[in-house]
Amino acid sequence: MFDTIPSATGDDAAAQAIVTALTRPQSGTALLTVAGEIDTVTAPHLEVALDTLVGATDGTLVADLTGITFLASSGLAVLIQAAHRADRSGRRLRLVVSGRQVRRPLEITGTDQLFDMYTDRASAGLACDD
Amino acid sequence: MSDLDSPHPAETLDGVSTVEVRTSASAALIPTIRAVASDLAARADFDLDAISDLRMAVDEACATLVDVAAPRSALRCTFHVRVDGIEVRVEVEVDEPAATVSTDTFGWRVLQTLADEVDVLAAPTADGGRPTVGIRLDKLAGDPPR
Repeated sequence: MFDTIPSATGDDAAAQAIVTALTRPQSGTALLTVAGEIDTVTAPHLEVALDTLVGATDGTLVADLTGITFLASSGLAVLIQAAHRADRSGRRLRLVVSGRQVRRPLEITGTDQLFDMYTDRASAGLACDD
Repeated sequence: MSDLDSPHPAETLDGVSTVEVRTSASAALIPTIRAVASDLAARADFDLDAISDLRMAVDEACATLVDVAAPRSALRCTFHVRVDGIEVRVEVEVDEPAATVSTDTFGWRVLQTLADEVDVLAAPTADGGRPTVGIRLDKLAGDPPR
């Protein structure tokens, strides 16, 4: 139906990355900071980071998603898994979301109901930013 | 990308502009396609939520089809931009004539939520070439209340 494109894949040239950082900004709180575009290529990276956040810590769990510029259903799926995992340890994951790029996908799918949503770090219970 | 033999050259007919993007069927190239979707929706005066929804819906359709595409095949994404919305057709070549996309997945439910209309397209054998599978979606410029 249409011609084959000569270069078979552009995987290396167009490879994307997301940046994640797990910190303990204050006693009893674990904070995961994520930046980049979350799609089928990068969602596995987010999944690993969220597993580490939810699995290796006790206390309050916060994921700061303000640096995310795109969130696909694959990203929603790993966030939902993390919410369920936190729930099993009796906790609710706090999300810091400021932009439409993340808020819209969460809201239109109802996924936001699984989290405590905040628009900045201070209201999510973090004493001082960065 | 400038395939002048394309059956659907960019043009304006009956108020419809057509833009076609063709890439290797690779997940790494989907960011480029969703960027085109965002740009077209913004230029068509979609409201901000509808731009976000179209970008995500196009990403979802492309990701679903890249999963079932034959190795070393192409993905074609055609945007028909109308006054009141954008229709998107995404197609890939597949090896198996019976190949299709599953519609009982989380991703498909998200796609149905994001778009105003969504269908699976299947062409068992087109033009004597490899069979293709596609997804057609339609998104209106002003998100109607649901």
